[in-house]
Amino acid sequence: MTPEELKNQSVAKTVDARGTACPGPLLEAKKAIGTIRSGEVMEVLSADEGTKVDIPKWCTKQGHEYLGTVDESGYFRIFLKKG
Amino acid sequence: MCLGLFSGSVDKLTAAGVILSGAAAMDMQVEIYVLLQGARAFKKEIGDNADKLAMAENPALKEEFMQSLKNLNVKTWVEFFREAKAITDVKIHICGLAGKIWGGEKLEDFIDLADDICGIGAYLSSAEEADINLFI
Repeated sequence: MTPEELKNQSVAKTVDARGTACPGPLLEAKKAIGTIRSGEVMEVLSADEGTKVDIPKWCTKQGHEYLGTVDESGYFRIFLKKG
Repeated sequence: MCLGLFSGSVDKLTAAGVILSGAAAMDMQVEIYVLLQGARAFKKEIGDNADKLAMAENPALKEEFMQSLKNLNVKTWVEFFREAKAITDVKIHICGLAGKIWGGEKLEDFIDLADDICGIGAYLSSAEEADINLFI
């Protein structure tokens, strides 16, 4: 998906984990995924470089679909669809 | 995952906590066997007080290390362990010999993260079955 497509889709849940370092964003994502339904999209905001690698791997392991990452200034918006 | 936790130093316990968080995020089942130095950190009188724990590496930089953790909003090792236990199946076993070395005979002598006191046979049985084995 292009950054524009990522930004324009409807997001069921936004997790703002910008205040935490690794492993904070991953754990926040893990806690939040239980609050949305299968097929819904979640967005994780993180200022931690490692999260860009962690979340896609976590999605593969947990059966979610990683959609892509948008670089903002000073943080990332990481999108995934719950499996 | 099976973790042999020998270390009772704040830096290595923090590393164990971070790894444990990742395991929790991935719904892994975790068995932790707390050995020798590790058992001291789990004693009630140590609690979650880093002042009572050493640094395994760069002991002269402990203050800088602790301040950086604070600045980065990183949880304490006890908080990491507690959170992981709330999310996934984590069992913490205190080695009986290690407990005795530090004056801990009973489960009540340790913080409430500890699930039981066990022997080395339990550790090796778990290690044999686990797909990931770590020793810290």
